[in-house]
Amino acid sequence: MVLLTIGALLLGLVYGLAGLDLPVVTFLTGHTDAVLYLLMFSVGISVGMYRGLAAKIREYHLRIFLIPAGVMFGSVAGGVLCAALLHMPWNYGAAIAGGMGWYSLAGATIGRLVGAEMGSVAFLSNLMREIFSYLIIPCIALKLNYYTSIAPAGATSEDTTLPMMLKYTNEETVVLSVLNGMICSLFVPVIISICL
Amino acid sequence: MDILLVMLAGMVVGRFVFPAAGKKANERLALVCTLVLIFSMGVMLGQKDNFLQDLFSLGAASFLMFLLPTAASILVVYLLTERFFVKKGSRGKEEPR
Repeated sequence: MVLLTIGALLLGLVYGLAGLDLPVVTFLTGHTDAVLYLLMFSVGISVGMYRGLAAKIREYHLRIFLIPAGVMFGSVAGGVLCAALLHMPWNYGAAIAGGMGWYSLAGATIGRLVGAEMGSVAFLSNLMREIFSYLIIPCIALKLNYYTSIAPAGATSEDTTLPMMLKYTNEETVVLSVLNGMICSLFVPVIISICL
Repeated sequence: MDILLVMLAGMVVGRFVFPAAGKKANERLALVCTLVLIFSMGVMLGQKDNFLQDLFSLGAASFLMFLLPTAASILVVYLLTERFFVKKGSRGKEEPR
C-alpha cells in the first residue's frame, strides 16, 4: 500500500514535470471531485458495514473530542516551537502547523494573508505531513496503539489517509479517524484566522 | 459538507443494502480511488510553476514545520489515548483486520 501510494505520487510528478498531455490523464485530473466522492461513498460503505458504530459513539461520548483536541494542541504547539527555531513570528508557525495536513487550504490562505514565501512553507509542510503519514501510520499502529495512528494524519484522517486506517487498524479506529478528520477540518480555517 | 453527505449515503448503503461478500471488492475500489487521487495530486504539483524551485529553496523550513508539529501531535495523542482509551493489556489492538 505504502509503496503503491508513493509510486502513484512519483508517477504523477514525473508526468506533470514532463509536460505530457494524455487525454486519459487529463480526464482523471479534471474529475478528481468525482473520484473523491466515489472514495467517500466506498469509505461510507466500510463504516456502515461496521455493526457497532452507534454503540461506539455512545460509548465514547465526550472522549470522542480528545483525539482531535490532542492533534490540534500538538500541531499548534509544534508550530510555535518551529517558529522559535526558525526566528519567525510565533503566530506564523502556529497558523502553518494549524493546517494539519490540509495543504491546499493552508497554502492558499496563508499565502494570501502573509505572503508567497509563508504560503509555500505552509503548502509544502502540510503536503509533507500528508505524504509522510502514509509511512508513519503503519509504524504507529504496530509500535504504539491504533488510536495514535490518527495523529499524523490530522485533518486528512477522514479522506486521503483513511484507507491506511482501514488497512492497518480496525473499524473502531476508522470511525474515530473519520470523526477526527471532520473536527480538525472544521478547525483548520478557524486556527489560521485566529493566528493571523 | 457534500462529501460528508456522500459518505453518509455510503454508510446507509453499507448498513442496509451492501452484501457482506462485497467487502473485499469495496476495499479494492477504495484503494484504486486513493491511487488515482494521489496520482492526480502529483500531476497537479508537477505542472505547478516553480514547484521544484519552491521545493528546494523552502524545503528545510517546510520539513521542520512538518516534523515537529506531527511529532508533538503523536506524543500528545499517545499520552491521551493510553490514559483514556486503551484498556489495560489490550494496547488498543483488540480487533486486528
